[in-house]
Amino acid sequence: MGAAAELAMGLEGAGLTVAPPSEHPISGVAESRWVAPASLVKVAEALREAGFFYESMTCVDRLDPHGVFELIYTFNRWDEPARLAVRAWAPKDEAVPSMSGVYGIAAWNEREAWEFYGLRFSNHPNLTWLLLPEDTDFHPLLKSFTAPPPSIYDDSMNPSAAPADTGDANDHAHG
Amino acid sequence: MTTPTAEPLDSYTLNMGPQHPSTHGVLRLKLTLKGERIVGVEPVIGYSHRAHEKMAENRTYAQFLPNTSRQDYLSGLIYNVAWVEAVEKFAGIAVPERALVARVILSEFNRISSHLLWVGAFLMDLGAATPFLYAFDDREAILSLLESVTGSRLTYATARFGGLSRDLDADFPRRAREVLVKLKARWPEFVDLVEDNVIFRQRTQGVGVFTLDQCRAWGVTGPPLRASGVPYDIRKAEPYGAYSRYQFDIPTRPEGDVFARYMVRIAEMEQSVRIIEQALDGLPEGPILTEGSIGIKKRLKLPVGTLYYAVESARGAYGIIIVSEGGSEPYRAKFRTPSYANLGVMYDVLPGTMVADAVAVLGSVDLVMPEVDR
Repeated sequence: MGAAAELAMGLEGAGLTVAPPSEHPISGVAESRWVAPASLVKVAEALREAGFFYESMTCVDRLDPHGVFELIYTFNRWDEPARLAVRAWAPKDEAVPSMSGVYGIAAWNEREAWEFYGLRFSNHPNLTWLLLPEDTDFHPLLKSFTAPPPSIYDDSMNPSAAPADTGDANDHAHG
Repeated sequence: MTTPTAEPLDSYTLNMGPQHPSTHGVLRLKLTLKGERIVGVEPVIGYSHRAHEKMAENRTYAQFLPNTSRQDYLSGLIYNVAWVEAVEKFAGIAVPERALVARVILSEFNRISSHLLWVGAFLMDLGAATPFLYAFDDREAILSLLESVTGSRLTYATARFGGLSRDLDADFPRRAREVLVKLKARWPEFVDLVEDNVIFRQRTQGVGVFTLDQCRAWGVTGPPLRASGVPYDIRKAEPYGAYSRYQFDIPTRPEGDVFARYMVRIAEMEQSVRIIEQALDGLPEGPILTEGSIGIKKRLKLPVGTLYYAVESARGAYGIIIVSEGGSEPYRAKFRTPSYANLGVMYDVLPGTMVADAVAVLGSVDLVMPEVDR
């Protein structure tokens, strides 16, 4: 049995996995398991213990129709191909426990999920903007975000920052 | 935001970057120093964020092709091929033998050119200006060769679902072998110029050691991981494309320091040459693009599902995660970039080193900031 299968069985044995809430298939991984957001840190500790490294985390907008964010974590090992996907459905308004105490790089991935989706993480050392400018007040990877982001350089794309009524603007509006 | 706390008077903050010659791109490091010793570091990134992941959701799979090579502009061809192969795997598109082998040849040339640029720029950081000229001379030969096939020198978009946009011409193997001869003649010069240089060794040996525990916590991959003694290379661990056919070694070093990372990259270039030679010897004849495969003008729809596709870029393990809802655009595309993790490890590695060594350590991981920021 491969390391990923062994670990996945271990997670099941410890009662950390849950029934899949979605039929959405995943490929390119050796094993895949669904967990409850509350057990993510315990899962991470088990993975670290078993010699896995933190490969990636993907947040997916499933607000319409499920009202959740899907989190897809992948972990892997150096000695054999053992990619293990850990998936969780995180309800929109509940904070997800941060894995940053177990895997350092999780802190950056979680900051990304926060700034791009508005998903909060509990026990995070520094949940602030990572890639977007500080004070950004929109979450651009949400499916509901379709407007061009407001630009500090170019107001022509931003309706709320339209110039005060001038003769020119009126001419265009009625023309 | 964190609340400012009262700090002992003997420590102070130094901003390195965002415009600093040694960061090779816009990276800002907030260093907390005691004298010249670093006690804390906070990398500030995002200066070259271009929302590739949002763009992917608003483009068809084919329209996203030019974006791929703009993530890591030094090994863009590898990223371009990775996107195409991920979509091919997802959609079940067959690729002709000739295209598979040609992709390996072009990707490995791209890997060498990326490593050469790193050698030049890294040694320049350490104060050695001469190797830069040698490295760029060789890199120029590779870029000209790639340009003759792909039409571009930096941001390649030559791969197509089902093959390549253009075939290798009849004269290509001869020109490629000429470049290889030139490259192989250069290795001894690098040994004389750099490896045996006392100043270089003093600046790099025992500096910026990555431990295996740190590598695991931060997801370090690629040459920095191999320089810490782990023979992990996606080309061997999860062979993709035509890689399983070729004999090559995974160079490793046990030390984990800056010097080891230099030695690993030099040895990797030699292995890439080995792969290219074998691929040129066995270059099959035949079509370069699957007949009737999905061309760039057709709308391609992928089945519902999520796919993780990994390749070995010049910097480490690059992962593409495509979430499809059955449409002609990705529902979500995520890029796991190696430099992101290789920069994160600085939180653990830089504290305890001197400011001057920070330049060497940072240079040795070969960061490409647009790849970190996407």
